Amino acid sequence: MRLADEFFYLAHDDQTGRPRLFESATAHGLAAALLGELYGEGRVTFEGRHVRVVNASPPKDWLQHLVLDRLVAEPRHTATRTWLAFLGTTAYEQVATRMWQLGLLRLEQVGRLWRQRTVYVPTDMNTAAWSWARLSFQLRNYQALNAFDLTLAGLAAHTQLDPILLDGTPLATRAFLRQQIEHAPLPVRDLLADLGAVVGGAVLSHRTS
Amino acid sequence: MSHSKPDTVSAVLARGRLGIPSVVFFVIAAAAPLTVVAGGATTGYAVTGVTGMPVSYLVVAAVLALFAVGYVAMSRRIVNAGAFYTYVTRGLGRPAGVGAAMVALLAYNAMQVGLYGGAGAVTAQFLNDRYGWQLTWWVCALAVWAIVAVLGVARIDLNGRVLAVVLVAECVVALAFDAIMVTHPADGTVSFDTLAPSHVFAAGIGAALVTAITGFVGFEGTVVFSEETKDPRRTIARATYIAVAVTGLLYGLSAWAMSVATGPDRIVEAARADGTDLIFNLVSPYLADSIVTVARVLFITSLFAALLSFHHTVARYLFALGRERVLPAVFGRTSRRTGAPKVGSLVQSGLALCVLVAYAVAGADPIVHLFFWVTVTGGLGVLILMTVTSAAVIGFFARTTHTEGPWRALIAPMGATLALGGILTVTLREFDTLLGVAPDSPLRWAFPAAYAAAALFGIGWALLLRATNPDVYAAVGLGADSGTGPLRAPDVVRQPA
Repeated sequence: MRLADEFFYLAHDDQTGRPRLFESATAHGLAAALLGELYGEGRVTFEGRHVRVVNASPPKDWLQHLVLDRLVAEPRHTATRTWLAFLGTTAYEQVATRMWQLGLLRLEQVGRLWRQRTVYVPTDMNTAAWSWARLSFQLRNYQALNAFDLTLAGLAAHTQLDPILLDGTPLATRAFLRQQIEHAPLPVRDLLADLGAVVGGAVLSHRTS
Repeated sequence: MSHSKPDTVSAVLARGRLGIPSVVFFVIAAAAPLTVVAGGATTGYAVTGVTGMPVSYLVVAAVLALFAVGYVAMSRRIVNAGAFYTYVTRGLGRPAGVGAAMVALLAYNAMQVGLYGGAGAVTAQFLNDRYGWQLTWWVCALAVWAIVAVLGVARIDLNGRVLAVVLVAECVVALAFDAIMVTHPADGTVSFDTLAPSHVFAAGIGAALVTAITGFVGFEGTVVFSEETKDPRRTIARATYIAVAVTGLLYGLSAWAMSVATGPDRIVEAARADGTDLIFNLVSPYLADSIVTVARVLFITSLFAALLSFHHTVARYLFALGRERVLPAVFGRTSRRTGAPKVGSLVQSGLALCVLVAYAVAGADPIVHLFFWVTVTGGLGVLILMTVTSAAVIGFFARTTHTEGPWRALIAPMGATLALGGILTVTLREFDTLLGVAPDSPLRWAFPAAYAAAALFGIGWALLLRATNPDVYAAVGLGADSGTGPLRAPDVVRQPA
């Protein structure tokens, strides 16, 4: 399973596919997840506020390939925030398309005549709920998270999605999550810090236009 | 070099960026011109008894333009540029910054809550006159409060296009009314008496000046959009000057036109008799009823736009301070579904409700005691903030290496600090005139003292944080960026334009 797919599942209802998180946070969370996938594949790393390509050999996955190609093609932009903003403009459609190609999502028309729109609905509820159930169970039982789950939990925490993982738990569980994330590798923490700042910035400069 | 290749990243990010007109619309709509013209200026005449209101608006516009020079120059160099306390933090140190944050919270809350008095009274009067209902002001105020509270948590701002249409309509109405009033002067002659610069040295001018400043609150919001503009260097600066110039001329012209229509010697008397109806009563003999009705509706929508805008401002301030952990971290949480700064929004609404209920129970006058007293007190708070911010701009440029010339880095901010400080001094000396109370009334000290208390609390809190929680102390002023604070030094990375 890939990070962005799992974050997509977390950010949407496992049955109806309805969003659980506001749009800009989802978009930036997915962008960070795509960068996180490349970090996991050893292609990029994060140093302070910047992202650096360490290995430009093409990944197997087409979407990872696409993102890495862009990073390589635009060396003048290194700020992680810039890349989160750039990837955030397309990440939703790209990740959804990748999942649809694998049969993880299907397209469904919802809404009345004048407000018809297409939503991506998970084909299998159990697959869709698995990332949420796994993280939630481990946190509730104070089990240390592996590197993948740690990044996923970090993405959730920095997009303010963590209440769905921690629903109804005591404060100690929230503290446990925070302490786990604090022990993530430094590059991951750098990525998450920028994600938090970008999402916070989106809240501060919000306007409806 | 790869610079010959097209820069896809910048091209994509430049889509949907704001130009000068959008930024101007956003901030002028927040300042709500018709609210100031029909509500602020008339009540200003009535309560302070000062006939120099028109010249006050023009003087204040000039001072604020001077203030904007250094303010905009500094905004390009800091993160979280939308908040005054960030400037104070970077220019005068963190304790002063937290003090400024507390003053700002009080001031913007006062602006917002005070507007409910105007909105309630004006709406009730409109509905009662038109439909013969027997509504009290607080019923209407609570109805407006409920709408603002819901829109606040749902994170719904008025749509940019709607705002633009309403704003243009407001300006057209104000200008048309001005034309009618000036062409129908009281004694057959157009008098420029209320525009005479000699008013600046008359008794009670402090009260008039701070009333004028209250009308401009919101123009400082241009810098919130600095990361979202097509050309951050020029767009924000020009939008700020345009906003100050347009509003300043409109307010000055309208206040003067009213004094022409009543005669300069009778404007205070007329304003006391008619209140916020004055401008409508003055033009109604020459216009169809339906046009005056439309204007009254626009007055109400303009109040509503201002209410919502200040509500969002307070919620954002609370969110930024919660993110920094200066306030409890719970303020930094957002609504999961809408991304609204939920806790900040709810707390602001709760506070407004308490004040509204207290005023309703006490039976106080909604226009004088709530709308005018409380918003002008908010204006005083913003005046304090602007004075301190202006000094902070000098401090910031003195301590950092920069490429700005002496005009932006020193002369303009110095002039603005002196001018704003001067206005602040006369305002405090004449606060009894401003409130319209006896010179020995304890109320004249109670309102300014609230700011002193807030500032001292903030400074004390900052010193406590420095001793007990250095990580939080280090992140003061970074707003949403504070999560990155303990990890590394802040920088001013901006999105490519």
